[in-house]
Amino acid sequence: MRTRRWLPYALLIPGILWLAIFFIAPMFNLGATSLYDPNGSLDTGYRMTFHVANYGDALSQYYPQFLRSFSYAGIATISALIIAYPLAYAIAFKSGRWKNFLLVLVIAPFFTSFLVRTLAWTAILGDNSTFVHFLHTIHLLGPQGRILATPVAVITGLTYNFLPFMTLPLYASLEKIDPRLIEASSDLYASAFTGFRKVTVPLSLPGVVAGTLLTFIPASGDYINATLLGQGARTSMIGNVIDSAFLVRLAYPLAAALSFMLMAAIVGIVIFYIRRAGTEELV
Amino acid sequence: MIEKPVSVPGFAQFIKAQATRRAVLGGVGATGIAAFLAACGTSAGTKSGTAAGATVTDLSEKDKTLIVSNWPLYIDVDSKNQSDHPSIDGFTAKTGAKVTYTEDVSDNNVFFGKVRNQLAAGQATGRDLIVLTDWMAARLVRLGWVEKVDKANVPNVTAHLRQALKSPSWDANRDYSAPWQSGFSLIAYNEHVTKPVKDIDELFTRPDLKGKVTLLTEMRDTVGLVLLSLGKSPSNFTNDDFNAAMAKIQKAVDSGQVRKFTGNEYAPDLAKGNIAACIAWSGDVVQLQFKDPKIKYAVPDAGITLWSDNMLIPNKAAHKKNAEAWMNYYYDPAIAAQVAAYVNYICPVDGAQAEAEKIDPKLAKNQLIFPSAETLSKSHIFMGLDAATEKTYQDAFSKVSGG
Amino acid sequence: MAQAESVGGDLQLVHLTKMFATFTAVDDLNLVIPKGSFFALLGPSGCGKTTTLRMVAGLEEPTSGQIMIGEKDISFERPYRRPVNTVFQSYALFPHLDIFENVAFGLRRRKVKEVKSQVEAILSLVELDGFARRMPAQLSGGQQQRVALARALINKPEVLLLDEPLGALDLKLRRQMQIELKRIQVEVGITFVHVTHDQEEAMTMADTIAVMNGGKVEQMGSPTELYENPRTTFVANFLGQSNLISGKVFERSDDLGVELYGNRIRVPRSRTSSNSDSLWVGVRPEKINITLADRPIPAANVIPGVVTDASYIGVSTQYLVKTAWSEELMVFEQNLLNSGARPGDSVNLSWDPAHTFALDANQDVDAGVEVPEADS
Repeated sequence: MRTRRWLPYALLIPGILWLAIFFIAPMFNLGATSLYDPNGSLDTGYRMTFHVANYGDALSQYYPQFLRSFSYAGIATISALIIAYPLAYAIAFKSGRWKNFLLVLVIAPFFTSFLVRTLAWTAILGDNSTFVHFLHTIHLLGPQGRILATPVAVITGLTYNFLPFMTLPLYASLEKIDPRLIEASSDLYASAFTGFRKVTVPLSLPGVVAGTLLTFIPASGDYINATLLGQGARTSMIGNVIDSAFLVRLAYPLAAALSFMLMAAIVGIVIFYIRRAGTEELV
Repeated sequence: MIEKPVSVPGFAQFIKAQATRRAVLGGVGATGIAAFLAACGTSAGTKSGTAAGATVTDLSEKDKTLIVSNWPLYIDVDSKNQSDHPSIDGFTAKTGAKVTYTEDVSDNNVFFGKVRNQLAAGQATGRDLIVLTDWMAARLVRLGWVEKVDKANVPNVTAHLRQALKSPSWDANRDYSAPWQSGFSLIAYNEHVTKPVKDIDELFTRPDLKGKVTLLTEMRDTVGLVLLSLGKSPSNFTNDDFNAAMAKIQKAVDSGQVRKFTGNEYAPDLAKGNIAACIAWSGDVVQLQFKDPKIKYAVPDAGITLWSDNMLIPNKAAHKKNAEAWMNYYYDPAIAAQVAAYVNYICPVDGAQAEAEKIDPKLAKNQLIFPSAETLSKSHIFMGLDAATEKTYQDAFSKVSGG
Repeated sequence: MAQAESVGGDLQLVHLTKMFATFTAVDDLNLVIPKGSFFALLGPSGCGKTTTLRMVAGLEEPTSGQIMIGEKDISFERPYRRPVNTVFQSYALFPHLDIFENVAFGLRRRKVKEVKSQVEAILSLVELDGFARRMPAQLSGGQQQRVALARALINKPEVLLLDEPLGALDLKLRRQMQIELKRIQVEVGITFVHVTHDQEEAMTMADTIAVMNGGKVEQMGSPTELYENPRTTFVANFLGQSNLISGKVFERSDDLGVELYGNRIRVPRSRTSSNSDSLWVGVRPEKINITLADRPIPAANVIPGVVTDASYIGVSTQYLVKTAWSEELMVFEQNLLNSGARPGDSVNLSWDPAHTFALDANQDVDAGVEVPEADS
């Protein structure tokens, strides 16, 4: 038996190697890149000067995009929650034998590419689309008003694209709720709505937390929706800045610093959120 | 989330309508973590090995093969078998060299990210011939990452390259490059929703176009036309000229005239009338006109820009001679006409027009494929930029365009 | 036992019927459950007892019929408007709330003041002082059971419904809780309606038991009455064990003379639930004396037989005795009176006519024998 004690550790080796090669090493590299001389270029080379100021510069130049990313992602997350909760609730409790079919429908968008799904929204929200004509007709939009190439379009796209990430964890946590708990609440003088508020909602909170994180995190770093549905600089998110800094402007130190700050900001927001969701009195 | 936008099955019709080589959503393509990792992989600070020292033994004689990287939908195809390219079969028949033809250039920047590490480290890329747009080709030439072409092996190029393309500032003697296809950047508009738009000033100020104009995220295409509208030449301009052009663009953006900056995705929007007018690539216009004659283009009196996608031989290419044979082969006017019949961009080969006449007279008359000397005389090639200037300009442009 | 302060009254079920798609779960049920009583609905799985309970709680709508508390018809009242609370099977405690908040749930919904003192009082009643801030998952099954009880009782309902409340507990704890429940019921004086499939549980606690079978009440009465004088084969078999022997009436006078395969015995008229001449004659195993064939016979009704099996189980010895017509009768003999009978011995089985009961022969002799473990 003694000889077997190393076995569990040995089994971990592939995982550790994988992480080391594909996560730790690149992260280290990215960290190093973020400290290079910002004046470097492909011709002159990039020198390591521990230029911490890259971070300050990146933040002072691009804080509007950071704020925009988090506010778009935040609004999209809340919208997705509002849409997904009734949906997940209906699937979990009211769908009967259609349950599996409906779940497949929720996942169905994943069968096509993210890019194509987003492009499809340019048709739905286009200036000459039925939807926009309808908005004109009911005077919700002025004669010059449009949806495409506005923040509304970007947030709509984000909401749509990450909706399944919200719906599935919500469904999972709702589906686990023992229906007798709802009966017990109605037996204890809670109307249907009160029972929902005091029992169903608190018990589905793990799903809400998981769903909002799974939506908020990728939405914050997304750049496809802003590119395809947005209006250039007016709606550009931090992902667009990093994309352009890395690929077009070849400003590698800036891009690396921005990426690190994005990661740090998301980790910070997530920790804050989980703490609050975890320790607060749930009702 | 990083998805290659090329060839999307469900959406085929939508995408195929823009079946041109830029129909791949250039700037959007693949970035994110993959590119990140690629960028991190190199130790910064290594400058490339020098061009001369980078040469390896040419295996062309012993190993009759050739590995080509090109943009998607940028060559002739057999009408029955989409994966068969008759002109390549012809090449193999003629030279005996088997060709591995890969359509893996979907975006200059992304492709640069793919090969940057090897080239910077003085290693082979596993490719003998690549096709990149002027400015990216200029960068590779500047960095010394491409082989010099042996003129003795490419007599057709010397003989048939169109005059207007003979000496771009970044490769004045075409020592390193030969255009594969060229294109104009010009104004396009949708006549269903607007009356003709004849120049940049109309595009930037006409009230009926407000919010219905897009510009290109490719800095040179947008800035080039704006410089021309200011009476400056994109082939030779100063920082002040550039700043004036940027100010003009900024003004149009601030006024709400410009809806956004796009890669190739302007094409469906133009077709649907979501945008009324835009700066466009000529190949897209050809394609859009084919489906809807009401899509029009305008060549402003001030001029338009001309760009090329250039064949280059990357350092350490194992089959340099075969690559040169390929260049020479495709500069045979008959072969060039064969390609021109399938690709909607400008054929850079003199004499191909006469050959095209034999295939399809209408093709030979298309000004966006075989432009007249007069049209060409209005076109300008954007000048090569040194690294620092390129970065400065790109940064300034990104601020406006939203990168 | 009834408390003076409550204004309600008896719980009445009038022609109560519940039909699901294909079958009738509760079939024209009529019951009056007196205020302040401990009432048990006893029956096997699928007999309709839980459906009845859920209709009283408001969790199912009756197909027809009425549910009344005193003069008030609550048949279609929303569950949260009924003066009825339920202790659910496996408790259904709210896992996200601590014990205090679980118990306070009903009070808070009704915006009652002085929650704290009431919760403390009720937790003390169920002997859970000091557990207020624990979470349900940290409690043992028995403790959770008490919380469920406290959570319902704190609302001082007219009627407390208990749905197999002890089903999840082990035997020892169940015994203990039975006594506890009875104590609490006596203390609070609320009507308890207790649904169970466990006859011992029902008999220990209930003042009145209604035995249900196939959506109908077979027999209702005090535990003693049901046990001593069952009126159907189902009740005879479901409550305890019975020996049932086929017989023919040969004489009707003050009592009945019945012939069992040639053995003549007597049955009091008051213990006969049929006018037919064909009867099942029943006697409980512990009422039978077993004596070796050559010994004096102590009681009037006698049947001879041969011992086929004897098992000693501590408090008693259980015998199987084969009759001349090959029926095996069961006899429990207290270990105080040792007959010394062994397998193979010829014996006389005798019992007092007052311990005999007679049922209509037109019934399945084995009804109620198989008692399934779980309830629906």
